[in-house]
This record gives sequence, structure tokens and C-alpha cells, in this order.
Amino acid sequence: MKGKMLFKTILVLFLLAWALFALWPTYKLQTLSVEQRNALDLKGELMPLLEKGIRLGLDLQGGMYLTYEIDLPELYSQLAENKDPVFEEIMNEVRGKEDVLASMSEAFKKRELFMHRYWGDIRDSDEKVLSYLSKQAEDAMDRAMQKLRNRIDQFGVAEPNIQKVGSRRILIQLPGVTDQERAKALIGKTALLELCLVKDSKVLIETIEKIDQAVAKQRQGQSIENLEPVPRDSSEAIAEQKESKDKEILVSDLFGEETVTTDSTAAESDSTLVVAEDLFEENPFIALLRNMQGRDIIVPVENIKAVKHILSQKEIKKYIPSDAVFRWGSEDLEYENKFYRELYLIKEDPALLGKHITDARVTIGSGVRSQGMPVVNFTLDGRGRRIFSQVTGANLDKRLAIVLDSMVVSAPVIQSKIPDGRSEITGIPTMDEAKMIAIVLRVGALPAPLTVIEERTVGPSLGKDSIQSGSIAFIVGLGLVILFMMFYYKLSGVVANVALLMNIVLLLAILAQFGFTLTLPGIAGIVLTVGMAVDANVLVFERIREELKTGKTVRASIDLGYGRAFRTILDANLTTLMTAFVLYYFGSGPIRGFAVTLAIGIVVSMFTALVVTRMIFDAATSRKVMTKLSI
Amino acid sequence: MQFFQTPNIDFIKRRKTAYFISLSFLVFGIVSLAVKGGLNLGIDFRGGTSIVLEFHEEIPIGDLRNVLSQADLGNVEIKKFGHKNEVLIYVQQKEGVSAQDMAVLVEQAISRGMPEAGHSRIQFDTVGPKVGKELRVAAVLAILFSLLLILIYIGWRFELIFAVGAIIALFHDVLITLGIFNMLGFELSLKEIAAFLTIVGYSLNDTIVVYDRIRENLKVMRSENLGTIINTSINQTLSRTIMTSLTTFIVILVLFILGGAVIRGFSFAMLIGVIVGTYSSIFVASPLVLEWQSRHGDKGKLRMMKRK
Repeated sequence: MKGKMLFKTILVLFLLAWALFALWPTYKLQTLSVEQRNALDLKGELMPLLEKGIRLGLDLQGGMYLTYEIDLPELYSQLAENKDPVFEEIMNEVRGKEDVLASMSEAFKKRELFMHRYWGDIRDSDEKVLSYLSKQAEDAMDRAMQKLRNRIDQFGVAEPNIQKVGSRRILIQLPGVTDQERAKALIGKTALLELCLVKDSKVLIETIEKIDQAVAKQRQGQSIENLEPVPRDSSEAIAEQKESKDKEILVSDLFGEETVTTDSTAAESDSTLVVAEDLFEENPFIALLRNMQGRDIIVPVENIKAVKHILSQKEIKKYIPSDAVFRWGSEDLEYENKFYRELYLIKEDPALLGKHITDARVTIGSGVRSQGMPVVNFTLDGRGRRIFSQVTGANLDKRLAIVLDSMVVSAPVIQSKIPDGRSEITGIPTMDEAKMIAIVLRVGALPAPLTVIEERTVGPSLGKDSIQSGSIAFIVGLGLVILFMMFYYKLSGVVANVALLMNIVLLLAILAQFGFTLTLPGIAGIVLTVGMAVDANVLVFERIREELKTGKTVRASIDLGYGRAFRTILDANLTTLMTAFVLYYFGSGPIRGFAVTLAIGIVVSMFTALVVTRMIFDAATSRKVMTKLSI
Repeated sequence: MQFFQTPNIDFIKRRKTAYFISLSFLVFGIVSLAVKGGLNLGIDFRGGTSIVLEFHEEIPIGDLRNVLSQADLGNVEIKKFGHKNEVLIYVQQKEGVSAQDMAVLVEQAISRGMPEAGHSRIQFDTVGPKVGKELRVAAVLAILFSLLLILIYIGWRFELIFAVGAIIALFHDVLITLGIFNMLGFELSLKEIAAFLTIVGYSLNDTIVVYDRIRENLKVMRSENLGTIINTSINQTLSRTIMTSLTTFIVILVLFILGGAVIRGFSFAMLIGVIVGTYSSIFVASPLVLEWQSRHGDKGKLRMMKRK
């Protein structure tokens, strides 16, 4: 008996000492002033302290929580060869499906096609192609994770958390980051850099004229299957634009009511377009465009959607040269208080890919056009150098478009052969943007585009408010329960309160020691624990009271009380524990924080109620025989 | 101090009244769900974008609504959030417009329409429709799974009919709480699901304490009938039930009042849940065991009674 007592006392004291030790960093962090914090940070002592303190969830310290999904159909179609309309059809079908590979396999079977038509070797079975694709997807995920990690590290976020969820999702937590636009631009950019030759302006004008005539016919309701050669010299029309006055029209004036209402990709029917007044009737497409310095085509921002809509039509696509694509500029240009976007016609096959870039740095430009503007200098690897040297040598005086994620950043004229693999990207409006482009070029492109499917941002002020109101609720709740217990159970209530306080200390210590994250629902879980933790003691005390009423001695009543209440406490708490586990398993982020504090609270409360209070009672009754118990 | 010296309330005799009260609340809950057109799902479950803005001064919601309805943003919902200067704006996703752009459009519209009211964004959430659906499934699974675990556990520790009684009581608790919760316009999000599961755990805790006493008394009071045993057990544990419910209720009330807007719905659900859960462990879970036994006569005799 004595030995057991001693063992228990030592165990409890040891736990308390450990708890205080584990909580010390948290306490220190809480009491630091801003200056002290900064001083520690300079000495490099803040990080270890932060790591040992209780980790706060994003909802308490502010930050971003992002879930990305990798675009598998895009990845598969990048891997595919001999793509044709049937392929596009299948890919469109499987886009957005849960299990892309399974849906793809089904779609191929339905059409009685073999998958080796697009992937792998002619002798490959569908199974082999599928396993190849799934391997590729896995690979792409790993590479994407790696690249994201590098990008985020270079962005400078303290303690980011990047994890893979399922087979195609990546969850990113960025504590302290609330500049959503910048963070997302950096993380989500595919950063696929392509250098593509720009098509001659003669080809561009011809293409635009053809499209123009097609649109004109379409508006008159004629079939555009067999388009006659351009009936009138529209380059005149393009030239005429300069003198023509602008007028505003409705989108429905261009497309007709039906297209607008049935096609959600077109702009809202009541938004307006700016067209050249004199040209609109005969040259509806050209009327949407402007030209700048006789070289580039620019589009007023109001018209971008309409132009995109026209260019995306199947019937119109026929008039675009098969080796070329239209690409938009990456930034709006301002000219006489109006905003425009450039529209380029470039060669579809890139002359050089960004994967050959070995380094990228930001400097301030010194050239004629980039004076004082940020410029990204890049260096190419050996192979890239050879290709670049060849391309620049063979295309002197032609323009080379620098295309980042399908947007043209700039399109400089090749003035000389570049043999050393060093060049620069101009046309970037801000320093921040330039830094970002440099980072993504250094780290490299993502293997496939990522799309945001869930995003949560909590501002630091809301987080602080939450901590504050949570703490106040905790203190007030704790105070009330302590008073209530003392009032109801007198001295025994005090014993229960000791157990309650120890319960809280142990709970917090476990959170700190094992790196669990404290969230706002987690704080709620602690507050709830305060209310429910006394339950075990209430059960015991009520039992003791019952036994005392039957005339048993204090000693016997205490023993019986604990003995009989034990089974009840176990059964009752195990069920709550089960729900906590279920919550942890199915929940995410903040909810998990709640489940964790609830579960720890239950386990610890069983310990403090059954061991700690028992110990105090035993100690009180072991020295002398008690005849009355304050309960 | 003691609430009850030796309570001897005939709960069993009054169980019919209790059933009536329970049923009326249940019907009321279901009707209110029907009237409101189903659950008031939060952003987690239906997808979309919500932005919480903090204004420099209090602004009338009506004005804000006018400003935003003029901007072409589709269906916009506006609510007060926490402090009186904070407003939650909910917008549906639009095709071809990113959630981030949507938020920017909202803020631009406000800056244009109410240039004098400065504001800053303090919270931003967007959930894609696919994720919303997945979270709904996960929530339903979580609830079903925990109910199943409970059924197995009680069936094993006690007896199947006890488990059935407990599960019915849990449905009772959750449905009534959900009815009141929904009627008062609270939104159901992930956090609230956590609250409901906690109610499940809490109510069960209470129920098990009573069951445990019934199990014990079945051995001691072998000559008595089940009704008396159940009644005695409820009375014997009454003091504890009230005491624990009170301490729990106190802390949740504090949480509800002082815990801030983010967890208001969560604490409200628990507040109602504690009351209903306490009630059901006295008036629903145990009387149901008696109900079943009296209907099945000797054949339905509890294993625990037969054993001796």
C-alpha cells in the first residue's frame, strides 16, 4: 500500500514536471514583447522556440490554406501523340470525372479504339498503356510537389506545410501569408515557358481577313462552309480603322440573341463592345480590333471575350493556319486612357522550351525599350544554347515571342545571333512580377496545370480576435466551474479542482510536446473538456455520498465510490472517445484540432480523476481515521 | 450542498407525457426543415465563395445589399458577422471567373458604391462544387460510422436493446437540435457537424451512466420489475446527471457568449444539444428499453435478468 502510494506520487509529480517543461516555450512566447521577439529572431533563437511551443492552426494565426488538383486530362494529352478530333472528344468527356483513367479506358472501349493509338507502342495492350499513364501521373504528382516546395521556399514562408492528399491533390498551408494574389500567382503558375516565332504580319492580316469574312457571313445567317476568296481588299479596312470613330454596341448585336443566351462562354448579352463604327457592318471582326504602330494587333479589353469566343469556334478555326495559334499578351496596355490587349499569331511548335533554362535573375533593364524596367535574365544549358543559337541565327529580323503559360510576355525582334545562351525577358510591368517569373523559371515548370479547388484565408486580425475570445471564454468557463465545484462539493470540490487544473496543464503540454495543432474549434474542445472533465469526479463523489448515506465509514465509502464508479467512467468516456476518433478520421484542419483536444481531454480527465484525486483522498485518510468527509 | 437528497420521481409513469413532448419537438423540427426548404447549408457543403470584410465603421446591411445588387454578381448573400463592423458576403461561383476575381469584383463594387466606407478583407473561403460534394459525403459517413461504432459497443457492453434505445435517443437529440438550429437560421458547416457529433458523444455519455446503473441494479434488485429498476436507476444517477450537465452547460454558454462569431453556430448547436441530450437520457433512452420488454413479455426478457 505504502509502496503503491509512493509510486503514484512520483508518477504524478514527474508528469507535472514534464508538463511544465513542455509548456515553458509556449509560456515564453506568449510573454515576449514584439521587440524581444525580433531580438530573438535575429539571434536565430525564435524558430526553435516556435517549434517547441504549441502550434497554432491557420484559423488562429492567419494564413492561407489551398487545395490544388492536378489536371490529369491535360497531363495525359501532353503525353499523347497523333492527337485528332476523336482524341479531343474523349478528353473533353473525361474532364472533371472522378477517376480519369477508368473513364478514359471506358471511353476507348465504347468507341472500340485501342489506347496505343495515342500512347506508347503499337504492340502495347490497353492495360500496359493505363499502367504507363498512371505511373506518369504519380511521377507528375511527385515532381509537382517538389517544384511547389522549392517555389514556396524561395518565396520565403516560415513553416509551410505541403502534403499530398489522395492521388491527385496537393494541400498547401501557408501560415502568416495573406497576400493571396501573389502567393497563388507563384504557386499555381504552371510556368511553362516557350519561345515561339511570330508569324509574318502578312500571314496575320490574311488570317484576320478570312475570319472577318467568315464572321460577316455568319451574321447574315449564311453557311460559311465554302468561303469565297476575300472579295474586297480588307487590308484597306484595317487601315481605315484609324479614321473610323468608335461606337458602343451590345454583344447581342454581334452574335445575335440566341448565341448569347445559349452560350455561356460569350459575355453577358447586355455588356457592351467597342467597335469601329464605319466598319462594323461589313467587317465585323476587324471592327473589334485595332492596330498599333502598324505592326501588332491590339484588342480593346471590352472586346476580348467576344474575340476569344469567335476564335474558339470550330468553323473559324479552319481559317487559322494549321501550324499557328493566336496568343494573347500577358498584360493590359494603356493608350489614351483606354486599355488594350495584344493579340499575336505565333507558330504553334515552340522553337525552344523553358526546361533548358538553368538560371534566371532579375535586373533593371538598360536597353532602349526596357530602360529602368525590371528584366529577367536567363541562362540556357548546352542543348538549349545550341538550339537558341541556331534559331536566332536563322531568323534574323523576325520576332520571337516569349510565351509563359500560353500568354505572350514580350515579342522582341531578333537582332543578332545569340550563341552564348544568355538572353532576357522584357515587358514585365513590376518588380514583384519579375521576381516571381525568375523564381518559377529557376525552379522549372509544373508537369501539368494545377487548379485551386478549395481555398481558405484567415486574416491575422481575425485570428488574433479568435485567440482572444477563445482564451476569455476558457478562463471564464474554468473559473465558473471551479467555483461551482467548490460550492457543491466543498473540500472534495477543491480536490476535484486540483485535478481539473492538472488536467488542463497536461492537455496543453501534450499538445505542445507532440506537435498537435491548436485551432479555434480546438480551443472550444478545451473549454468543453473543462465542463466534461469534472464528470468523472462527479460520478465518484456522488457514489461516495451514496455510500456514506448507507452508514459506511469514510474510508470504505471512498474505496467503494472509486471502485463502483470506475466501470461507468470507462464506458461513458470510451464512447465519447470513439466519436472523437471518427471526427479525426473524417475531418480536416480545424475539426481535427477539435477532435484532438477532445480525445486528449477525455483520456487525461480519466487519469486525473481516478489517480490524482484518489491519491489526495488516500493521503488524507491514511494518517488518521476520518469520521467526516467534506463532500 | 445537494440538489436532491433522495430523489424519488416517477419518471416511468410520466414517460407517455415525455414521448408526447419529444414527438411534438420532432414534428416541429421536421416541419421547420420543410418550411425552410431543407437545411441551411454553409459554404463547406454547397461550394462557392465567402468573404468577410471589416469596415472602418458600422454600415447598414441594406445599403450594402443595394450596392451589390447593382453590380452584376449573381446571387449575393449578406450577413452580419461577429463585431458590428464585420460583414460576411457569400457569392456563387460564376463560370469563367475565378473565386479570387469574384472577391475582387465584390470589393470593387463596394469601393465604388460606398467610397467613404473603408474596408479590409479578413477572411476568404472558396470551396469548389466537387469539394463541397465530397465534404457532404464525408460528413454523412462520419455520422453513420460513429453511430455504427456506438451500436456495436453498447450492444457488446450491455445488450442490443440498450443499444437500440441509445441510438433512437441519439437520433432524437440530433434531429431536435437540428430543427431548432435550422429554424433560427444558423448555417450548417463542417464545424457544426463536429458539434453534432459531440452532442452524440455527450448524450451517449449520459445515457450510459444510467444504463450502467440499470445493469448494476438488475443484479441487486432481482425481485423488482424492470420499470421500478429503471426508475430507481434514473433517480440514483439524477444528481450526477444534473451536475455534469450544468457544468457542461455553463462552459458552453460562456463559449457561446464570449467565443466569437466564428464558433457561434458550433456553440449554439452544443448548447441545445446538452439540454436535449440530458432530457433524452432520462426520458427517452431507458424508458424505450422498458417499452420493448413489456411488449415482448417473457420472450423479450433481458439476458441480464435471465442469467441469475
